[in-house]
Amino acid sequence: MGNKQTTFTEEQLEAYQDCTFFTRKEILRLHARYRELAPHLVPLDYTNNPDIKVPMTLIVTMPELKENPFRERIVETFSEDGQGNLSFSDFIDMFSALCEASPRELKTIYAFKIYDFNRDNFICKEDLEKTLNKLTKGELTPEEVTLVCDKAIEEADLDGDNKLSFADFENMISKAPDFLRYRHLFGYVFIF
Amino acid sequence: MEAHESVDFKRLMSEESTVSTLSSDSCEYYQTEIFDLLPSIQASRPEQNRHDFSEETNQGGREAREKSGQLSRGPRDKTSMQPLRNLPMCIQGKKGAKERRKLEINDINFWESWRKTQSTNRKRVREQIKEALSGLVPWRQTLRTIEGKFGVGVKSYFVFLRYLIYLNLLHCVLIGGFIVGPSIFYRTDEYEPLMFKDSDSALDFFLGTGYVNRSLVFYGFYTQGSLDLKCLNIPLLYLAGIFSIIFLSLILVVRRTTVGYKHTWMLGKRYSMNVSYKIFCGWDFTIQDPTAAALKHGFIRNDLKLFLEEQSFSLRAAQRTLGEKVRLYLLRIVLNLITLSLLGGAFYLIYFATQTSLKKENSGHHWLVSLLLQYFPPITITFVNLVLPHIFRKISSFEDYSFTMQVNATLLRSIFLKLASLGIYLFFVFTTTEQDAKCKENQFGREMYKLSIFNFLATFFSVFFFNYPRKLVQETYPRSSLARISGKQRFLIPFNVLDLVYSQTVSWVGVYYCPLLPVIGIVSLVVTFYVKKFNVMRCCVPEQRMFRGSSSSVLFHFMLLLGLFMCAATLGFNHYPLQSTEGRNASSCGPFRNEQTMFTVTGGCVKSLPSPAQTTIRYLTSEAFALPLILAEIILLTSYVSRRRANQRAIERLKDMLVMSSSDKRFLVKQHATMLRQRNKHH
Repeated sequence: MGNKQTTFTEEQLEAYQDCTFFTRKEILRLHARYRELAPHLVPLDYTNNPDIKVPMTLIVTMPELKENPFRERIVETFSEDGQGNLSFSDFIDMFSALCEASPRELKTIYAFKIYDFNRDNFICKEDLEKTLNKLTKGELTPEEVTLVCDKAIEEADLDGDNKLSFADFENMISKAPDFLRYRHLFGYVFIF
Repeated sequence: MEAHESVDFKRLMSEESTVSTLSSDSCEYYQTEIFDLLPSIQASRPEQNRHDFSEETNQGGREAREKSGQLSRGPRDKTSMQPLRNLPMCIQGKKGAKERRKLEINDINFWESWRKTQSTNRKRVREQIKEALSGLVPWRQTLRTIEGKFGVGVKSYFVFLRYLIYLNLLHCVLIGGFIVGPSIFYRTDEYEPLMFKDSDSALDFFLGTGYVNRSLVFYGFYTQGSLDLKCLNIPLLYLAGIFSIIFLSLILVVRRTTVGYKHTWMLGKRYSMNVSYKIFCGWDFTIQDPTAAALKHGFIRNDLKLFLEEQSFSLRAAQRTLGEKVRLYLLRIVLNLITLSLLGGAFYLIYFATQTSLKKENSGHHWLVSLLLQYFPPITITFVNLVLPHIFRKISSFEDYSFTMQVNATLLRSIFLKLASLGIYLFFVFTTTEQDAKCKENQFGREMYKLSIFNFLATFFSVFFFNYPRKLVQETYPRSSLARISGKQRFLIPFNVLDLVYSQTVSWVGVYYCPLLPVIGIVSLVVTFYVKKFNVMRCCVPEQRMFRGSSSSVLFHFMLLLGLFMCAATLGFNHYPLQSTEGRNASSCGPFRNEQTMFTVTGGCVKSLPSPAQTTIRYLTSEAFALPLILAEIILLTSYVSRRRANQRAIERLKDMLVMSSSDKRFLVKQHATMLRQRNKHH
């Protein structure tokens, strides 16, 4: 891969390499993918940091996200305005946090944010019910959903406030046996 | 506002915890200023840091924001040492952090930076090696497709099959090194037995007679050989090879058992039905295919339905009246008696088959009849092992257990059936071999050889002549009565794994008398992999009812261990014969012919060693050494058990501390809010 690319300046590429888990080639490839989503909107030349945001409706059409039940929440979590419109920095940030190289602690932090639908820094019962409904595509009856959510909160809640704080969530994830491979948790395998 | 009902902060002990303590704090609790300022809340809100790092901080307004800026310096110090990419902030935040770090650490040591680059390079190289090694592991892509289509349970069957292939490869290497290699290399007599004679035929391959009987497949081939040094002779190497196989297999199986057992048992009942984990970590984020996604949704739903079913079952079981309980227990006793009688019938059938096949007057028949007669015991055993487990499955469905218990009960009975049938067969072969046979060990090895071959043939033909036609019938005539009775085919994991374990047990039991049995094992396992893959992908649909596989895997490993034990018992039984019958002692073939036994050979070796070594060995094998060894082991075990108990107690205490500190926090926040309100009221 030669050095003849005009999309980014060298400082920009270095900054991205430091802040994410991607190599030069992967960052350029990601920019190409980003551009594919909205070619008329995203310029080829990013050297002057244009303030372009791709709307959420286009981002969730990506094949990596298309089948994910939490795709809207993922995009919202990484967007700056909270509405799901991603600039390129947010885009690359999202995939860096979700890639295979990112450590478990980082993934846990972001997973907590993704599952916290009402963004109050706690996963309350309603958040859990929404998660469960997205996961089972609404095929459980409401009583079953309530039963499962009650048991889940009872299992993970340590300080007894009927909600999951980040400490509860992290404790629950870390207690999971290692052979349930968490590598596939929140991890995208990029096919370049 | 503070007149809430008092919250009960007593935490139930983990085994009994069924209800979590409820709190009725309103939102106001979480919105008080001081709540925001608490250090624990600060640490869990990394975007506060983001606001502080950006250039424009609107300091105007609430003094709380300033205070938060100062207080958040604590957590920020913790994150300043982590690599930039691990920080949970957006890219702007990371860039700001990078700027600040550059200002702080502007004279980084050359040595430090060199070491850092070296360590990153090493990490990269290690990851590349790991990537390359995992690419060498066979059938990775196949297993991934199977997992996507049929779930983790079916994949675990194939993973177990691959593990057995590795085990058998290890056996082959050991046998090659210890037994076959020296024998081939140092044979004194010519290779005359390995030439084809007139009386050999193609049937020898199936019967183990003739050419195969004389070849290195069986025990009788191995003689003393010219490698007749005091301690490096063929008999000793033979024994060393067999013992190393048994020992290594024991270590590997025990390691595999404890690794799996530790996860199911040590996590305790609290995490046995880890619903919260299933919800948060249940989705595989690498799925891109819509059908795979639909399947995954189905799996998660089935998992949760399994949990709900178990809950409702335990509820129902707890509500049984006394009359119902009595009737249920009577029914269970009757069904167990039926099972025992079925087992007894099966054993008698095996006895009859063994007697018929080992009778003397079998030689005068047509070759096909004599082939069938020779294979009569394996055919019976395989037939019994095929039919009875399905009957047990039907029986256990009447016993009103939860689904997991049903599967485990069926498994227990099937394991008993298979091991006992093998044991009875071995016993009858031992006791009814003729006294004047030329080589009893070869005879025995021949029976094991036939059993192995027939197992393999049965697997092969059952898929192609039973499963595949059944699927064709299902597809072409879906409404016929035959299709409706048989139903859609499912891959029954427990029975298949049991077959694998059984064939491995046969291989272990027979390896002393037929050293090339692991080679046959490898070939049959590899072919079985492809045959079963064909069966799963083409003929079966995904299983709807899931059961908890972790408890079954304990049973499988237990059966493996029992198989090893049976192998050791057979060896011991053969080498410690009843001293009264002198004739049985002398074997006329193999490495231990001419009145040589294991003891004479090892005794001769020990005598040739220098005298300090001799005295050490004599001491190590005496009782005076065994007693301190046992004592030391007991002490070690006791220390581990007590350490575990102490850790458990520490965990309970820490959990209590957690609950108490959160109650302290609650109290302080409420007090502060009250005081603020009172102060504002007075103004």
